[in-house]
Amino acid sequence: MSQAPVVRLQNVTKVIGKRTIIDRVSFEVRPGEVFGFLGPNGSGKTTTIRMIVGLMGLTAGDIHIADHSIKTEYPQAIVHVGAIVENPEMYKFLTGYQNLLHYARMIPSVTEERIQEVIELVGLQGRIHDKVKKYSLGMRQRLGVAQAIMHRPKLLVLDEPTNGLDPAGIRELRDYLRKLAQDEGTAVLVSSHLLSEMELMCDRVAILQKGQIIDIRSIRGQAAEGENVALEEVQFDVDHPDAALGILEGQGDGRIEGGILTLSSDRKGIAVVNRRLVEAGINVYGIRVKTKSLEDQFLEVTGSETIG
Amino acid sequence: MANFINLILNENMKIYRRIRTWIMFGFILLIPPLVSLAIYLAGGDDMSGWSIMMTESYILYSLITIFAVVVAADSVAGEFTWGTIKLLLIRPWSRSTILLSKYLATLLFALFFTAAAFVVTFLSNWLIFGLGDTTLSTSGLSNWEYIIRFYLFQFITLIMIVTFGFTMSSAFRSGGLAIGLSISFLFAGNLITGLFALANKGWVKYVLFMHLDLTNYIDGGTGPIPNHPTTLGFSLAVLAVYFILFNAVSWTVFKKRDVAA
Repeated sequence: MSQAPVVRLQNVTKVIGKRTIIDRVSFEVRPGEVFGFLGPNGSGKTTTIRMIVGLMGLTAGDIHIADHSIKTEYPQAIVHVGAIVENPEMYKFLTGYQNLLHYARMIPSVTEERIQEVIELVGLQGRIHDKVKKYSLGMRQRLGVAQAIMHRPKLLVLDEPTNGLDPAGIRELRDYLRKLAQDEGTAVLVSSHLLSEMELMCDRVAILQKGQIIDIRSIRGQAAEGENVALEEVQFDVDHPDAALGILEGQGDGRIEGGILTLSSDRKGIAVVNRRLVEAGINVYGIRVKTKSLEDQFLEVTGSETIG
Repeated sequence: MANFINLILNENMKIYRRIRTWIMFGFILLIPPLVSLAIYLAGGDDMSGWSIMMTESYILYSLITIFAVVVAADSVAGEFTWGTIKLLLIRPWSRSTILLSKYLATLLFALFFTAAAFVVTFLSNWLIFGLGDTTLSTSGLSNWEYIIRFYLFQFITLIMIVTFGFTMSSAFRSGGLAIGLSISFLFAGNLITGLFALANKGWVKYVLFMHLDLTNYIDGGTGPIPNHPTTLGFSLAVLAVYFILFNAVSWTVFKKRDVAA
């Protein structure tokens, strides 16, 4: 499988009136990768996604999908994309099947068998001939997924995909996206403001604030070169925290939280600290790495007040 | 090309899978026989089927124009209201092709309703009154020629109004506004024609509204403006200029605008 990026954004900029909504955003998503797009409301997630799928024009920069520019070769680029932009809006007066047929007719590669296949895949076979107005939000979401994956896109774009799904539905979607990325090498781009959700779903996350990417980081500890490897919070359960803190004077940001000695350290540092404590005669009962959740990291880089 | 037909099939599905469309169709099917029957029962049993057919065709044309405007307005603005435009546009088709499929599907709808109106008005009056020996034309046209010209000229008017509705629909993305403006366009047209016809200025013959009613030409008349004789060719040329203008606006707006809703 080629590792050339499926989608490549280069200095994408959007100016509306005098306001710069999106400011020189660049990133790539590779095949088989689930890439998260995280940011508070109004940070430009949806605008960026709309530019990727061609619903909005670019003021500057370019977007390539499977090496076709969205600006000059739109049909060749977009044929590789499946998407749900915001809510999966469907024609309510048509049945689920007619909705799928509608989109299938627009892409030559989708056969009758493939439509049946995706219907079974999303588990709608029992209700597919009902009108969409009788569907629950979860069923519409499934139908949305069906139309997005019908033509086996190289890039799947999902804007706030877990909106309105129940916990079981969210889990199912998450498992399905991971499977799609692993088995079919689909590149998946998801946006969300639900941090914990992104943490479970994504390989890499870009954090967007006020139209700019302020950080791109790997989740799942597979940090690529040039990306942030955060120091982790480490808790040492010791018998004399105050004494321990004195011993570690001058070593990082050691402090006592609830009777537990806490400091930031990387893997190597933990061993060093532990040796120094033991050598000084302090009993260490436990060492726990307090993994920073994405939420903590997110708040750290965006500042807490901006969360929508 | 087979692919483009798929786009038309899609638009047709969105028109004919709605109950609304068949209620409209019901009006077309029911009004002529009911009106004819009422006239017959009211003592008009010696009337000619041809003249009643003309009257009913007039009524039905206003209805078909309104229906076609509703379909045109929904065709573009509806997609924005429903939010489905987002999923419709992210397919390997240019926006202009998608818009063309919508435009053609709307005209096909109007054509289908017009054909139905023709058949229904003819059949119900033929059966109720018989054809009689009235002549509609004052210039020696046969009744068939007269009626067919009438339908043809009215269809040209309908195309203009539907095109206008389509333009409003893509410009404002609001179905209600597009329908409202097009219908006032249709009815204000008659008033404005009357007023402008009084003005003794040369430029009135370039005003679109003056050429919306072409029926004056059926019998070889000198056009809709009493003081300024025009030919059918001239009227059609004026309409063509506006037609191109409206479509240029629709296409430019639909192609360029960001879908942000």
